[in-house]
Amino acid sequence: MNLQVDNVIAGYQEGIDILNNISLMVKPESVAIIIGPNGAGKSTLLKTIYGFLRPRSGAIRFGDRGIATMPPHEIKHLGISYIPQEFNIFPQLTVEQNLRMGAWIFRNDKARLARQLDHTYEIFPALKRFSKTRANTLSGGQLRMLSIAKEVMTSPKLMLVDEPTAGLSPKVATEAYEFLIQTQRALKSAMLLVDHNMEEAIELADYVYVVDMGRVRVHGPRSEFDAARLRQIIQDCLLGV
Amino acid sequence: MTITPELLLNFTIAGLMIGVLYALMALGITFIYSIMKMINWAMGEFYMLGSYVQWALVVFLLGADYWFVGIIGSMILVFVVGLIVQRVLISPMFTSGMERRDEYGTVVTIALSLFLRNLMTVLSGPDTRTPGRFLPPVTLGTLPVSGDRFAAFVGALLLIFLFYLLLNYTWVGMAFKASSQNRVGVQTAGINILRIDQAAFAIGVMLAAAAGALLAPVFLVYPSNGAIATVKGFEIIIIGGMGSIPGAVLGAIALGLTESLGSVFISSGLRDVFGFVLLIIILLIKPTGLFGERERLS
Repeated sequence: MNLQVDNVIAGYQEGIDILNNISLMVKPESVAIIIGPNGAGKSTLLKTIYGFLRPRSGAIRFGDRGIATMPPHEIKHLGISYIPQEFNIFPQLTVEQNLRMGAWIFRNDKARLARQLDHTYEIFPALKRFSKTRANTLSGGQLRMLSIAKEVMTSPKLMLVDEPTAGLSPKVATEAYEFLIQTQRALKSAMLLVDHNMEEAIELADYVYVVDMGRVRVHGPRSEFDAARLRQIIQDCLLGV
Repeated sequence: MTITPELLLNFTIAGLMIGVLYALMALGITFIYSIMKMINWAMGEFYMLGSYVQWALVVFLLGADYWFVGIIGSMILVFVVGLIVQRVLISPMFTSGMERRDEYGTVVTIALSLFLRNLMTVLSGPDTRTPGRFLPPVTLGTLPVSGDRFAAFVGALLLIFLFYLLLNYTWVGMAFKASSQNRVGVQTAGINILRIDQAAFAIGVMLAAAAGALLAPVFLVYPSNGAIATVKGFEIIIIGGMGSIPGAVLGAIALGLTESLGSVFISSGLRDVFGFVLLIIILLIKPTGLFGERERLS
């Protein structure tokens, strides 16, 4: 199913728009990346798609369903998962309890839950070793892994991923990209990725959106972009060119 | 008065019994706080509603033989009232995207407490009422105890046990615990956080109502009878640590024992002072309470 964002205007406070008529599309099983300078509205866009922020105008569609006014828990049921920038885990619960919470929407289907847990442990074998460990004792890389694993328990059709490498060391950041791409391929899901780490993130992408001042400034298939061109575009954004 | 081991044991048992009853109230306060991060100042009024419903059911409908049905009836009724109050008065703070929603929510509960207390004064008058005695006295070792007080103790223990089972052995309980740790995380898991808030509020006030209903034959029923229970509840959650469920239970027992033993060794007239002394000592030694954790702000 396509994710289609059309002319969306949104913001946190009345009279201040962070997203200004932004439009984009993510095709099934593809990876689209959003890059742009700080304050461009990248994270706000993901929050708006996932229902944490209601657009003032414009439309957001997933397949043939309008989702612009849906709350997050309903959007989850449609097969969309959101992986926020912060470690999105429950620190006092064990790793396995975190994963089970990720499977909330099919909690009564015990067979599916067991299958999905096995599948998740296959993708993230390191988590199995810590299954009975409280999440607050894990390292940064393991917490990132758990944040991703928890959200993909539902085998989403679309993953919204916000700055997956923020605050991570370069080595752990590379691992985080590996978790992500491994998951996306295993699940055959689409991914809309916001990242500041251009060189590594662009390697994952099929399509690139450069966002500035709440709207898409440039977009195209990855083949049209290399890191040098992207750096130049970002520099132009920052200089207001 | 000569303090014998037997007397000490008796007062320890009495302290434990009242501590378990305090725990119900404190659990309600801390449970709501842990999920919604707001303090419900109207807890005493939900305790008062529970006692009035129990009184009304026993006197006008059930009779003293079916007092235990009255307890369940009080809990169900106040649970429903809690659902409605949360939906109509508190939830709008949490859906409008306003800042400091927990503080506005807390202020709403202060207004609600005044409203409920005055409403009951208008409806029932300022008179004190009692549903009468339900059970004959019992003897614990050598300690004679009012049957109703003992029933209240057993009822409170049972409710604490059921609450423990709910939190630790059900999906809903895990969702409550998860909500207290990461509100965004439960929403990305597909849980309706507004429903969790509503259920937490209703369960919290239901526990207060249970305490009110259980103690209706022991203490009197009148519009401001929840005031002392509220103060004790807040003392306990500060002693135990804000938002900590084990802290609420242990804090309540500590308070009950302190009051009871303080009455023996020092003076029964200063009973209510001992709790505050304990609170000050705990705050000096561990400002976050016995089980509380310092909030980390990034």
